[in-house]
Amino acid sequence: MDLFLQQTVNAFALGGTYALLALGLAMVFSTMGLINFAHGELMTIAGYILMACGLAGVPFAFSILLAIAAAVLAAIVMERIAFRPVRNASGATMLVTSFAVSMILQVLFQNFISARSQAVLVPEILSESVRFGGLVIGVNKIAAIVTTIVMLIFLDRFMKHHRIGIAMRAAAEDFSVARLMGIRANTVIAGAFALSGFLAGVAAVLWVSQRASVDPLMGFTPVLKAFIAAILGGLGSLRGAVAGGFLLGFIEIYLAAYLPSGMQEFRDPIALCLVVLVLIFRPNGLIPSPALKAEKV
Amino acid sequence: MNKLLISTLLASAMAFPAAAETLRVGVATAQTGALAPFDTPVIDGIHIAVDEINEAGGIDGKIKIELLEKDVRSDAAQTSIATQELVDEGVSVIVLPCDADPALAAIGVVTEAQIPAISTCASSPTLPQIGGDYMFANFPGDNVQATVSAKWAYDEGHRSAYIIYSPDTQYTTMPLYFAEVFEKLGGKMLGEDTHTIGQQDFSAIATRIAALDPQPDVIMTSTYEPDFPSMLKALRAAGVESQIIGSDGIDSPTTFSLGAVAEGLVFTTAGHPTEGSPLEAFNKTFEEVNGKAPETVFNAVGYDLIKVIEAAVIAADGSTDAQTLRDAIANLENVQGATSMITYKGTDGMPLREVSLIRVKDGGRELIGQPTPDASLIPEPRVQ
Repeated sequence: MDLFLQQTVNAFALGGTYALLALGLAMVFSTMGLINFAHGELMTIAGYILMACGLAGVPFAFSILLAIAAAVLAAIVMERIAFRPVRNASGATMLVTSFAVSMILQVLFQNFISARSQAVLVPEILSESVRFGGLVIGVNKIAAIVTTIVMLIFLDRFMKHHRIGIAMRAAAEDFSVARLMGIRANTVIAGAFALSGFLAGVAAVLWVSQRASVDPLMGFTPVLKAFIAAILGGLGSLRGAVAGGFLLGFIEIYLAAYLPSGMQEFRDPIALCLVVLVLIFRPNGLIPSPALKAEKV
Repeated sequence: MNKLLISTLLASAMAFPAAAETLRVGVATAQTGALAPFDTPVIDGIHIAVDEINEAGGIDGKIKIELLEKDVRSDAAQTSIATQELVDEGVSVIVLPCDADPALAAIGVVTEAQIPAISTCASSPTLPQIGGDYMFANFPGDNVQATVSAKWAYDEGHRSAYIIYSPDTQYTTMPLYFAEVFEKLGGKMLGEDTHTIGQQDFSAIATRIAALDPQPDVIMTSTYEPDFPSMLKALRAAGVESQIIGSDGIDSPTTFSLGAVAEGLVFTTAGHPTEGSPLEAFNKTFEEVNGKAPETVFNAVGYDLIKVIEAAVIAADGSTDAQTLRDAIANLENVQGATSMITYKGTDGMPLREVSLIRVKDGGRELIGQPTPDASLIPEPRVQ
């Protein structure tokens, strides 16, 4: 029983991180229909800021703020330079643009920083663990769970009560009508990117503090997981992204924990089969976006 | 008549490539992509060696080395294309990427052209085995490294072990060699786990290992960055206190900056800069050239590679003919590289090199030893 609880805590921590990542993708998708594969590079940028701050001796708490700020800024700049010119182009054009941005950034990191992983100094406290009865819970797990909860509450309030949040929801539902009501497209889209950068920055801090290093290709895995989670939850739906993130985390951890050792090699394919199984019964995801008027033949 | 004259001249010019004054070395390695973290430091080392030799007048004071470099983007197909281009440009030796898979993609081309190829730092003993006569490696084999660490663990009194490996590449299956040697010595394997390369979360595996009773004395893995720090932290956070053994992939600054979790960690690698050693001298040169200390032993491994080629040219009496050089490389003995003495004679292309056993102590490296393993203990190469 203890073992099961322990694995459940692990699943919550991993699922929470996936949820933050998927939310970042969903945020941009819901407003402009773009799946931003350069989302992972926002994390890499935040990671490099953490690395630089560690070398410069900046206190970790302060470097977290700087790293998140850098991710937000990078997201806004990315939108302005790369995505605004193709805003009215087809979804495929935007998708390819996001791949291009991602690759360009990776090569820049490789050539101007280093092709090799760079160490990030992470406070020792994050490697320690706390005992609750029979449970041993890593401090970084607690940090991940608490951060996820705080972020979800913040986002919920922001989208419900803040002017830009409401505008973003309106735009997600019907962009043309929202514009007719006087909502500025640039503000909404820039806002969505800024928020996705914010989420990427927070997720990057959690991600990097676990692996203690940053490399040019770091963004690939998280963006892939986020993409799967977002599809699983229902593309464009924010609640769906959270649900998808948690479900993916649970699937991965329970498979790693309970699959017999001879089967462990096939863990990832089995996890993806389960995702496909969910999608067979709920083709638009767990919590489909109300704006999704997809009619499938 | 003119045409005949020109073509005869061209043909004879090709038959005597530049009167053997330069050795053309083709370098088809990954400057970008997933293998770049390993290939780029090797190339830095190669440049240092080539500049050093050329400044001294060339190999044996007369043959300059000319490098023809191509980026293969860590892609197997691109490696094969780049290799073909280099063959067409008439190189005498080809340097291939660090990983066995892209290196093998070029094997058809180099075998056909009968040009010797050396992988920058692939350590899988299966590479020259599959690659055939023209394929050479430039790193202590996985099976040799695993033998060194298993023997050490057993001699330290550890009797039970657990391995975590990834079937994704040849290199990350090194723990299977470890298990084989450890059992041969009389140790007991308590189990194994697999992971995928790039896996971020090891908490499920760590929780399962922490629940084992009794706990394994040793946990061996050849996982490297970024997965390794994550794995190590997860194991320690779950309360696992076993001795952890790694391999050359974690010989990187990150490992030494992890703090308390990495203390006592032991790993095998290609060299250690003891006082007065060639590696110490190389590191000094590297710092003079690049303005910063080397981040990894792979820099020195690149220097070794050129030293091997230099030795082969000298052994072939200054010949730059590809076939002659292949035979010369295959018969090299005790070439002094930056990291170790290197011998190819009597092997299938996987060189005999020293393995250094390092322990992380107070965030620095401590040399445990540079043992030569008992040949009867070394497992046969296996294709995973």
